[in-house]
Amino acid sequence: MRNMFADAPRASLTAAYWAFILYLLLPLTLMMAMSFKGANYIAFPIGEWTFDWYVQVMQDKQFLDACLYSIMIAAATTVAATTLGTWIAMLIVAEGIRGQVVIFAIACLPAVVPGMISAISLRIFISTIDMPTGTMAIILGHTVHAVPFVVVMALTRLRTMPGNLVDAARDLGADSVVAFFRVTLPYLWPALFGGMIFCVLLSIDDFVRTFFLGGYRPTLPMLIFAKVQGGMSPEINAMATLVLVVTAAVGLYAEYMTRRARTR
Amino acid sequence: MEPVVKFDNVTKSYGKHVAVENLNLSIERGKFVTLLGPSGCGKSTSLRMLGGFETPNAGRILLGGKDVTRLPPNKRNVNIVFQDYALFPHMSIAKNIAFGLELQGHDNQHIHRRVSELLELVQLQDFAKRLPSELSGGQRQRVALMRALAPDPEVLLLDEPLSALDAKLRQQMQIELKSIQEKTGKTFMFVTHDQEEALTMSDTIVVMNKGKIEQMGDPNTLYGKPGSVFVANFIGETNLLRSTVLGTEGDVAALNWNGITIKAEQGGLTPKAGDHLYVVLRPEAIHCSAAEPTSVNRIKGKIRQRVFKGNHTSLSIEVGDGAVLNTLVHPSDVAQISGEDIWVGWKAESTTVIPDRHAHN
Repeated sequence: MRNMFADAPRASLTAAYWAFILYLLLPLTLMMAMSFKGANYIAFPIGEWTFDWYVQVMQDKQFLDACLYSIMIAAATTVAATTLGTWIAMLIVAEGIRGQVVIFAIACLPAVVPGMISAISLRIFISTIDMPTGTMAIILGHTVHAVPFVVVMALTRLRTMPGNLVDAARDLGADSVVAFFRVTLPYLWPALFGGMIFCVLLSIDDFVRTFFLGGYRPTLPMLIFAKVQGGMSPEINAMATLVLVVTAAVGLYAEYMTRRARTR
Repeated sequence: MEPVVKFDNVTKSYGKHVAVENLNLSIERGKFVTLLGPSGCGKSTSLRMLGGFETPNAGRILLGGKDVTRLPPNKRNVNIVFQDYALFPHMSIAKNIAFGLELQGHDNQHIHRRVSELLELVQLQDFAKRLPSELSGGQRQRVALMRALAPDPEVLLLDEPLSALDAKLRQQMQIELKSIQEKTGKTFMFVTHDQEEALTMSDTIVVMNKGKIEQMGDPNTLYGKPGSVFVANFIGETNLLRSTVLGTEGDVAALNWNGITIKAEQGGLTPKAGDHLYVVLRPEAIHCSAAEPTSVNRIKGKIRQRVFKGNHTSLSIEVGDGAVLNTLVHPSDVAQISGEDIWVGWKAESTTVIPDRHAHN
C-alpha cells in the first residue's frame, strides 16, 4: 500500500497514459459499435445487432466509385511524389551542389504550409494557367503535399549509407545510372516503401486540397462529408469503420515491413 | 619490362594543401607494392587517383602504358578493396562477387564458374547465399578481396583493408593476402600506415611522407639501409645516434656521440670532419654481455629498465651522460645479465649512417 503513494509521479504518468488511450479509442469504438446497430438512429443501447449497414455500403455504387477514385489518385500521387522526393533527396546529399540547405528547406515547405493556404493558392494557380479542376489538379495538389515526407525519409536513409558503396559499384564497372539502380535504390528501398505508404495514406485522407481542386466526382472523404451533411446514419459509421480498418492494416503492415528491412 | 603503373610527375592539391607532390613511381607487373606512411602522407590520395576517384592537378597516370589520368573509375581496369569492405548489403556473397563480372557482360555460366572458383580460393563455398551482415569481419574481408579480383583487374588496389581486424586475424590475413597474390600473380598495390604489415607482405615498399616519396626498395633494404631519419624511425625500432665526424679511415668513420667515440661504416658517404651524421643502430644489432666484448664499438652501461616481451627481453641501457640505447636480449642470454652493470657492443658494419639534412655546419 505504501508503495502506491511513494511512487506518485509514476502513478500519475501511468494514469495520464491510460486517460489518453481512452480518449483516443472511445470515439472510435463508439463509431464501430454503432455501425452494427439495427436501427436508423445513433443512440444507446444498441439493442439489435446487424450487418445490414455493411451490406448496404458494399452495394452502394457511389461509395465503391469514390473508393476507386481515391485509390487511383493515391497511386498516381505516390508514383509522382516518390520519384520527385527521391530525386530531391539525392540532390541534397550530392557532392558539389551549392545551396543544399535551401533546397531542403524549400522541399519541406509544403509539409508546414497550412492545408487551407496551400489549397487556395493551388486553386488560384490552376485557374491562372487555365487548368480545369478535377483529377489532374487533385494529383498535383496531393503530390506537392507528399513530397516533403518522401524527402525526409529518403534523406534519413541516404545519410546512413556508407559513402563508398557507390564508389565500389563505380570501381567495379558501373556507370552512375547503373550504380543508382543497382546499389543506391535497393539500399533506399525500406525508406521508400515507408514513404510510399505514407503518400497513399496522406492522399486518401486529404480533404481540404481535394475540396478546392476537385471536380464533380467525389473522393472518399468528400463523399463521407456530403453524406454527413445529410444527417448522421449508421451507414456512415459502417463506411468509416471500413476505412479505419483498411488504413490501419496498411499502416501496420508497412511498419512491420520497414522494421524487418531495417534490421537486415 | 614495361611498368604496369606509372605515375608521371603527378601533383594533387586541395586548395593550399598539397596532398601529393610531383610523384614519380613505376610499378612492375606481378609485384606486391606497398605505399607506407603516416596519415596525410598522400598514400591514399595516390591510390584513389589510380582508382579514378580523384583527378590530379598535374601530371599523368599510365595504366598498362595507356593514359588513364582523366578516365572515370568504371572505365579503368583496376579494382579497389575498400577499408570497410563496402560490400553491397542487399546482395548475397555470390552476387557481390558477380557484380563486376555481370557488368563486363559475361554469360551466366562463366560468371557462375568464376564465382565458385573464387569462393573456393578463400574457402567460402558454403557462404555463397549468405548476406554480408551474416559474415564475420575476416570473412567479409575475403569476400571484398574476391569481389575486386573477379573482373581480373590489371592492378588490385588495397586501401588499408586490414585495419578493421583484430591483431591475430590481421596477421593471419597478411599471410593469406600474400599467398593469394602469389597464386594469382596479380599486381597488388597496398596502402597502409602499419610498417609491420608492409614488411611482412611487400616485394617493394614505397615510404611516403608529406606527399613525396622518402625511399623505395625491398623490405630488407629499407630496414637495413634506411635512407633518411624519417624512414629509420618509421620502419622498425631504432636507436638514432646523432654524431659528429672526427675523421675517416678507409671506409670507416670515427664519430663522437655524446662524448663517446664510435666507429661506423660510411656506406658511400664522404663525410668531412665536423659534419653531423645520424647513426642508425637497430636494437638487435647490439650485443649485451657481462664481460667486455671484442667488437669495435663497446661501451659500459647500466640497465635502467627491463621489459619482458615473451620471445625476448627489451633493455634500456644508460651509457654515459643520459644517453640511452634500447636493445633486445634473447631469453637464453637473460640469465647471465643479472646486476646493473653491463657491456654493450656492436660492429662497425652493422649500422647505417644518414646525413643530417638540417645541420648547419
